[in-house]
Amino acid sequence: MTWLAQWAGYLPQMMSGLGVSLLIAGISIAAGYPLGLALSMMVSAKNLAVRTLGLAVVEIGRGAPALVILYLFYYGLPKFGIAFESITAACLALTWNAAAYSSEIMRAGIQSVARGQTEASNALGISQRDTFFRVVMPQGMRSAIPGLMGVAIQMFQGTSLAYAIAVPELMKSAYNIGSQDFNYLQIFALAGICYAVISMPATWITVFFEKRLARHA
Amino acid sequence: MTVSATTDEARASHVGIKLNNISKRYGDHVVLDDVSLNVEPGTVTALIGPSGAGKSTFLRCINLLERPDSGTIRVAGHTIEPGKNVSARDLAALRRSVGMVFQSFNLFPHMTALKNVSFPQQRVLGRSKEEADERSMQLLERVGLKEKAGQHPGRCSGGQQQRIAIARALALDPSIMLFDEPTSALDPEVGLEVLSVMRELAADGMTMVVVTHEMQFARDVSDTLVVMADCKIIEQGDPRAIMSDPQETRTRRFLRAVLER
Ligand SMILES: Nc1ncnc2c1ncn2[C@@H]1O[C@H](COP(=O)(O)OP(=O)(O)OP(=O)(O)O)[C@@H](O)[C@H]1O
Ligand SMILES: [Mg+2]
Repeated sequence: MTWLAQWAGYLPQMMSGLGVSLLIAGISIAAGYPLGLALSMMVSAKNLAVRTLGLAVVEIGRGAPALVILYLFYYGLPKFGIAFESITAACLALTWNAAAYSSEIMRAGIQSVARGQTEASNALGISQRDTFFRVVMPQGMRSAIPGLMGVAIQMFQGTSLAYAIAVPELMKSAYNIGSQDFNYLQIFALAGICYAVISMPATWITVFFEKRLARHA
Repeated sequence: MTVSATTDEARASHVGIKLNNISKRYGDHVVLDDVSLNVEPGTVTALIGPSGAGKSTFLRCINLLERPDSGTIRVAGHTIEPGKNVSARDLAALRRSVGMVFQSFNLFPHMTALKNVSFPQQRVLGRSKEEADERSMQLLERVGLKEKAGQHPGRCSGGQQQRIAIARALALDPSIMLFDEPTSALDPEVGLEVLSVMRELAADGMTMVVVTHEMQFARDVSDTLVVMADCKIIEQGDPRAIMSDPQETRTRRFLRAVLER
């Protein structure tokens, strides 16, 4: 009971941190998906330079730990006179991450679209552009939905890394509360629950979409 | 029968296909070896032959879904030499006058039946949504599927999907229709629905080239029977004559195999 009572007391302060975490996740997903689509097209491009650039951005974004990218943005770029606020740096780093992961998922989705779809579209004389954006992409995106939702969950959990550059997100709030009366166990348990309360329903929705897609396949 | 407007019929009756010396290989593997074919306007040509003979490849060369290595294609007043560079304009003109129906239907699964038929009209012919939808409904009614307009293809049977696919191709007012085994993926009974739509089209004077294993359709509907084997056309002529008295042993062997099934 005492835990519950204490948790209730901590909650308002935790909520402001959760708000910041959701904001960072929201921005990096909203910016990361369109960039991911652009990257997926670059990686499949005919032009070698475009393809190489796309691949480099994707592979760094997936290969380097998010924390390393975060530090590069926050501590590294000021060397070149480019300085960000911590929250901006966090958004940029996670956006790169989201873009890199989502681009691979989108590319796989687009590649999974049956060849007959492109052929039928070509045979009808529909332009290459319309064939991609109106015929192939909508179908590819549909099969990419579960994977993309997975990226969203991963990004939300990844916001905890922003703690390392003092962004006042959920982990930072928890740490601040904990350092007041040293109830670290309780407070981090509560933080974990906050992450789970958001992530778990999102996972259920993902599973729901996966099942629906499997049924319609 | 009101599949196509009279103007379409008039146009259809003036457009044939002339394919000269078409060759195609994949690496070292020759698939078409110097094949020529003349399709008279308003006629139905049935293309038969054993699996791997090159029938699909040949058909797909007509609208350049497959790019022949050499030869010329003359369709609707355009001469195309696929071995050389084909301009985007020529390709667009070719595909506008040639419609195609596939064995696996290839309807767009994320669009309703109506949208499947209307979308290409809007994009290719620049028709407004209202014009396109009106034409689509006429065609869906004609293939007996008006009530399926709002359904997605996944909710339609194979035979229904194939008839929607035929409507989709007809909506662009082609003068020539290509069919690649349009009933092979269907139960025989369901295939009949599709064949009857094709018979009506033929009766309307549409120029058609049909790759098929339906011997009865080939005999009753086609004006010319073309037998392909081993990358070549080995025999062509009147379907009844060839079926009752094939000149080539290869044709005889193939016909015996199909007809005795
Ligand atoms: N993309 C490709 N790459 C390599 N070989 C191919 C390709 N497409 C077709 N072929 C080969 O070309 C030959 C002719 O194929 P095609 O599909 O035209 O035959 P078909 O007469 O339509 O046969 P079926 O009755 O089985 O449909 C086959 O040997 C096939 O393996
Ligand atoms: Mg074939």
